[in-house]
Amino acid sequence: MLKIKLKMAILTGFSVLTLGCSVNETVTVVVQDDGNLTQTIESNSDLLAENLMIAGTKTAFVGDLLKAQVEIKNASDELLSFQYKFKWLDKRGFEVGIGSRPWHPISITPYESKMIQGVAPNPLVNSFTVLVQD
Amino acid sequence: MKFIQVFIVIMAALALASCSTKISYGDATSVETTTTGFGSTDLQTIAEKLVDDLITFPPVVQMTSERRPVVFVDKIKNKTTEHIDTESITDTIQTKLLQSGKFRFVDMTTVQAVQEQMKFQMDSGMVDSNKAAAFGKQTGAEFMLYGNMSSIVKRRNDTKDVYYKFTLKLVNLESGIIEWASEKEIRKSSEKTFFLN
Repeated sequence: MLKIKLKMAILTGFSVLTLGCSVNETVTVVVQDDGNLTQTIESNSDLLAENLMIAGTKTAFVGDLLKAQVEIKNASDELLSFQYKFKWLDKRGFEVGIGSRPWHPISITPYESKMIQGVAPNPLVNSFTVLVQD
Repeated sequence: MKFIQVFIVIMAALALASCSTKISYGDATSVETTTTGFGSTDLQTIAEKLVDDLITFPPVVQMTSERRPVVFVDKIKNKTTEHIDTESITDTIQTKLLQSGKFRFVDMTTVQAVQEQMKFQMDSGMVDSNKAAAFGKQTGAEFMLYGNMSSIVKRRNDTKDVYYKFTLKLVNLESGIIEWASEKEIRKSSEKTFFLN
């Protein structure tokens, strides 16, 4: 009986802990007028930010739409399951298509890299941020 | 023993707290995994993938760089065993394509209402004839978007696996040529687990 109660207590504690998921901005890429990229990688002390690495970014214009590809690496020895989405910004820093882009679930096995890809919703976009959350 | 008492008090407090109804707003774009059935995340993912594919397909990029083709959206055939509002998927796709600035659409669902309004403008005598919308001036669609949605569901003991496939095609109405097609596949599985044995 005591064993079952202890299990329930542990489970309750674990549920409370997992409720506190956080959003981390990991990389922001701006395509300058001359075509050069400015890349800013932000990390914080969250578990996900410690284990995820931005291994590389690629951008290209398809017609007049910005296409982005980001390589995310799981630097840990555990399977990481999280969600990501692209946030698209225009030249003045305004977000384009607010709320129209969904979070995507993704899992990366230990030390593996995966590519994520997105296309800007319209030609006004010249930069993007990849958001990840656990 | 003291731990058990504290635990019982916490559980009682939680039970009392659960008696109240709490309403909150959530993120409409967050990942939804309530059941293996077709959900909001599937709809959003399908729309995003297919729109991205269409607007970056090289012949479409070339065509839309010169003009904004007019498209008609046909119904999506639902071949799954679920009731799925496929019009909602095509609505999202149409909205995203319009917002991309690459395409324009004619809406066949409003033909009756448009006809009635134009008849009113022409025949009622209440509208200035110089400002009334004239018959026979509408633009015909050049392309049609249509598709299918199918699923495969498998069950074994406590495990359920659902596979969805959404196919969308763009056909040239004059030539009958399929100019573009793309698919989005989704796999969802659920397993009943028992923590306390």
